[in-house]
Amino acid sequence: MTASPKFSKKGHRWGYNKEDGTYYGRDKRSWAKISLFYMVFYGMLAALVAICMWVFFQTLDPRIPKWQMEGSIIGTNPGLGFRPMPTDDNAESTLIWFEGSNKTNYVKWVDNLMGYLDKYYTPGKTEKGTASIRRCSYTHPPQRGQVCDFDVRLWEECSPDKFFNYHRNAPCIFLKLNRIYGWIPQFYNDPNDLPEEMPDQLKQHIRSVKPEERDTIWISCEGENPADIEYLGPIRYFPKVQGFPGYYYPFENTEGYLSPLVAVQFERPLAGIVINIECKAWAKNVKHSRADRTGSVHFELLID
Amino acid sequence: MGKKYSKPKDQHRSSFNPDDTLEGETINITPRHSPVQDGRSTASRPLYPKSKSKAFHFRRASKKATAKTMDIYRQEISTNDHKLSLEELEFKYRTSLTEGLPRELAARMLVKYGRNELEAVATRSMFLVFLNYMFGGFAAILWGSLALSVIAFSINYTIHPDQLDEMYLSIVLFVILVGTGVFGFIQEYKNSKLIDSFKKMVPKTATVIRGGVLSNVSVEEIVPGDLIRLEGGDVVPADLRIIESHSLKVDNSSITGESEPQTRCVNATDDNPLETGNLAFFSTNVIEGGGKGIVIATGQATLIGHIATLTSGLAPESTPMKQEVKRFIKFITIYAICVSSLVTILGLSMGKEGFEMFIYFIGLLVANIPEALLVTITACLTLMAKRMSNKNCMVRNMHAVETLGQTNVICSDKTGTLTQNRMTVSHMYYDNNIFDVLSPTYVNGTTYNYLYLCRCAILCSRATFKEAQRTIPVMQRAVLGDASETAVLKCMELLTRNTKKTRKEFPKIFEIPFNSANKYQLSIHKRPNDDYLLLVLKGAPERVIDRCSSVMIEEHELPLLDSERKRLVNILMELGYMGERVLAFADLKLPSEYTADYEFSDMINFPVTGLRFVGFMSLIDPPRPGVREAVAKCKRAGISVVMVTGDHPVTAMSIARKVGIISPENDTVQDIAKRRKISVSQVIPQEVQACKACVIPGYDMRKMTAGELDEIVQRYEELVFARTSPQQKLQIVEAYQKTGKIVAVTGDGVNDSPALKKADIGIAMGICGSDVSKDAADLVLLDDNFASIVMGIEEGRIIYDNLKKSIAYILTSNIPEVVPFVIYLMLGTPRIITVIAVLILDVGTDLWPGISLAYEPAESDIMDRPPRDPKFDNLVGMKLILFCYLNIGTLQTFGSLASYFFTMAEYGFLWDRLINIQDEWYSESNAIYDSYNVEWTHEDRMTLERMGVSAYFLALVVTQISDCLISKTRRLSLAQHGFTNGVMIKGLLFEVLLSAFVVYCPYINVKLGFHPVNCYVVMCPVLPFAVLIFIYDEIRKYIIRQNPDGWFYRNTYY
Repeated sequence: MTASPKFSKKGHRWGYNKEDGTYYGRDKRSWAKISLFYMVFYGMLAALVAICMWVFFQTLDPRIPKWQMEGSIIGTNPGLGFRPMPTDDNAESTLIWFEGSNKTNYVKWVDNLMGYLDKYYTPGKTEKGTASIRRCSYTHPPQRGQVCDFDVRLWEECSPDKFFNYHRNAPCIFLKLNRIYGWIPQFYNDPNDLPEEMPDQLKQHIRSVKPEERDTIWISCEGENPADIEYLGPIRYFPKVQGFPGYYYPFENTEGYLSPLVAVQFERPLAGIVINIECKAWAKNVKHSRADRTGSVHFELLID
Repeated sequence: MGKKYSKPKDQHRSSFNPDDTLEGETINITPRHSPVQDGRSTASRPLYPKSKSKAFHFRRASKKATAKTMDIYRQEISTNDHKLSLEELEFKYRTSLTEGLPRELAARMLVKYGRNELEAVATRSMFLVFLNYMFGGFAAILWGSLALSVIAFSINYTIHPDQLDEMYLSIVLFVILVGTGVFGFIQEYKNSKLIDSFKKMVPKTATVIRGGVLSNVSVEEIVPGDLIRLEGGDVVPADLRIIESHSLKVDNSSITGESEPQTRCVNATDDNPLETGNLAFFSTNVIEGGGKGIVIATGQATLIGHIATLTSGLAPESTPMKQEVKRFIKFITIYAICVSSLVTILGLSMGKEGFEMFIYFIGLLVANIPEALLVTITACLTLMAKRMSNKNCMVRNMHAVETLGQTNVICSDKTGTLTQNRMTVSHMYYDNNIFDVLSPTYVNGTTYNYLYLCRCAILCSRATFKEAQRTIPVMQRAVLGDASETAVLKCMELLTRNTKKTRKEFPKIFEIPFNSANKYQLSIHKRPNDDYLLLVLKGAPERVIDRCSSVMIEEHELPLLDSERKRLVNILMELGYMGERVLAFADLKLPSEYTADYEFSDMINFPVTGLRFVGFMSLIDPPRPGVREAVAKCKRAGISVVMVTGDHPVTAMSIARKVGIISPENDTVQDIAKRRKISVSQVIPQEVQACKACVIPGYDMRKMTAGELDEIVQRYEELVFARTSPQQKLQIVEAYQKTGKIVAVTGDGVNDSPALKKADIGIAMGICGSDVSKDAADLVLLDDNFASIVMGIEEGRIIYDNLKKSIAYILTSNIPEVVPFVIYLMLGTPRIITVIAVLILDVGTDLWPGISLAYEPAESDIMDRPPRDPKFDNLVGMKLILFCYLNIGTLQTFGSLASYFFTMAEYGFLWDRLINIQDEWYSESNAIYDSYNVEWTHEDRMTLERMGVSAYFLALVVTQISDCLISKTRRLSLAQHGFTNGVMIKGLLFEVLLSAFVVYCPYINVKLGFHPVNCYVVMCPVLPFAVLIFIYDEIRKYIIRQNPDGWFYRNTYY
């Protein structure tokens, strides 16, 4: 060895040294050697990581989650969500605050909604057309491997053409239930066996629905306090059957699957005041927890 | 501090002048030995020029201010009071030899000179020490992190009162900081009682004559000039000039280390105040007799005051270990701040939020700092200290243990340390031959010559065994009598087994005890059946031979001719040259007119000439068993052993040869002179130059300049300093330190304490050492045995090696702690590790295994290699850091990341989904889909995140176990080294249990940000990596062993 690395021995002699031609205590040959070592070392390490991960991922099915239902973290109680999402600059807020008279303002909310609803208006776009999509009904549930489309016309008033009625200060809010692999809802399909705490409006609605259409996860929205109820005014639900049709369940990660959505329109909410709204999904195996935000969802509405 | 030092200046005895001191204020002190002292005060070794912090410089500077005053104390005390006549003394101190000081003057003097007590010299305030432990080292940066974390918490709390992450972090940080701070302080606190033991030595009251009246005066009120009366059992209350002595004997052992009582007289016997017989020193004990003395110095001005001031004022050299650690802390701190800032700035430039990056910065900082490192080092040293205490080596300063491992030079006392401190008959001369009695092959003589010698030795003695000791081995029996008589008696009992019977057979009729005028001792005995009286005599050889006219050789009595006399003198020289004290024995059958009824008297009314010479016995304080081997071991380990003794050069050299301090092949000038039969000064300079060994007496050293001493210290491989004074001992230590040596010094007397304090390692003697010396020392040898020092050195070297292992183990985990933060920032994944998890790793799980590495046995015979050179072999070198960070740390990171990503994948988030998921992940959105399009609420995502963190944490623990195993050895394969370290098993078990506890214990785990996770899922991906770490390191060590100078050695051996 002509030149020995003096890394620790002369640790303070940094930089280029003219006398023995070393950079940071090593000459070129020594640098080459140590670089080669670490290249080989890390190269082999990377290969090992790759092999390791490949082997382990062989144990996972690409379409079926390993942990389902009770075994999984999310469990069996689906979360309820709403759209539009309050914007990024106020990430943790649940306040929907818009001005119906200010186009640039409400268009933001409309765009926000459309960003989410896009796949409903152009089905199959995301799934590259390989999905087997069909129209389903309560009497014609999908076969295995098939997915149901969603008829956006059922949302009626709540359409992008009408700016989801934000410009008329009668905004549509979309509700959806989180997808849980393999989850089968237990419907409240017996009008005589409805829970106490279910709002009367919903109870009446269930009784008015055709028996075959009662296999539905029902949705109800209310102002949280009597004052909120008063300020909120009348509420309309689209589609007409007030909830998520049962034939969309269970979710099995089939390609092209679209979650059913319910559009809730607040027809005449009072402007200039924050209204607290709570929406709930109703099925026998949906429990309402505000802390976990499962089964129910809370948001505020403020119209300027 | 300056103020305190200025006081003794006024009191300094060398220029005492009552007129000046009572009326004028200023006294000019001129150091008497100034040429010798030059430059000594600034004798700091520039070993670590780069490691000195600014604070360090500042302290040095302030010390310089007092260096001058310190110099005064460095000189040997100088006074002329012992040479003054009594009248001059009386005049100088304005006192009366009969009446003492007038009361009124005594009161004025007390005001002038202050109380006669030792002052505590300003020591470091304990509060400052506490602050240093609280805020020094890594603590500073951690306090910074704590402050940042509190700020982060308070900002965050106003927005999200339910988010308490930063609060928990602050609490954990605070607990760690206070815990480690208090731990270190407690260790230090035990170390701070030096001056107290000086105070303990001070007597309470003394008998003083003032104005002719005898009274008991509190010792603090004694002033120069006071007339003191001393009695047996008193403690000398100040430095005294003796003016009246009735066989006054004092025990100076606490000052000079000499254990024999010293007779005090009125007249000066030596120029040197320490050697003269008419001074008695503050705090020494009066053994017997009585007398009077005039106080010549009180308080700080006394000899012991000098030593106390010198000892407390001397800064012990910062231990190499402390310097290394300081250097390392600096490196890590700068590194941590740089890396954290750099990544944070990068994050900000990538458009991350300020507050988020703020918290992130704290995390990086904490992850980059090995919080538990200092605690681990302290714990390792404490454990080692405990282990050494079990081997008769009490450690007073933990850091000293490691310093001991680097020692290049041991300056050892002779008496008691190298030798047994027990006079023993080593040679006997009879039958024309010198016999080595101590040799295991010695066979008893059978001739009349031998029998007469024994008879003479048994009879001519005042020493007797104490009663009831039949069962005790002879050497351990207690004897009434002085050291040499004891030695002879024990030797005789061993050889003849019938001293008692012989004495009974020859009842003693008369005796004259030894006195310094005659230099012999004789006794007259009568055997009942004999018709003559037997006179036996022993004494100084020349005197005895002069009195002899015949000599016993083998069976016959022959006339003592001149030729025979010459031969005896040669024998004498030979024994003397061995450094032994020779006693000559002679006997005589008294003529028949002397019967048992004859009135023998001290006036010597009987013949004491014309004796029959029967033989010599020579005595020596023999080396302790095992010392020779220990010295040889030291030499093998590259440590020079230097003898520094107050004994005669010849004796010193003889012992030095016996124990191997001077090796047989090396000649000293004295050897050459002896061989050539010329005087030392006649040896030609070339030969002097060639000598590798040298004996330097104190009187020669006094003539040397500091530079000459440094030269000598560097030139000779084997050195013996004889006849040295305490101050010279200090000079020797400093001379060695100036040449960059790490010096261990042994000592037992008060006078040794400055040298002990100054040395890198001061070693005091547990049995014969004074309390003061023990307090000044870093180590106390409980058995006074030199061999224990060598054991200590061995332990010190082991601990150094093991500390390296501990540090390697602890440092390695920094990389897997830091990388997740970088990935989080660069790849936008959820959190992979949390700050609290990092802290639990650093201060929790890693702690015990890290400490357990201190229990590792040595890998090879560490006493076969030279002491480490602090310039090249650092505790934490670049090689160690690179190896830990780039090799093992990287392997750990990959293994732990594999576990993390696999766990996340198991629950639905494949790695590609995790990349850049951050914005969605932390949003309020209640429906973030995973790789299976399942939607996750915010709550569920946070749970999953905690599981991911738990997985990473557990995986890291697994790789740390692997790391701990590979850290056990630096060179050997684990198969060769074995797994005998029981503490490590406990430590690893603790690591596993603690990590399982924090992850799986309900409630606790939520608070700490963990969530139970499937163990199997964690282990599967990481185990191959843990095994890989092990295999990789075994291969690396194999290559190092096969190729001891190869690339791997040079680049990865730490």
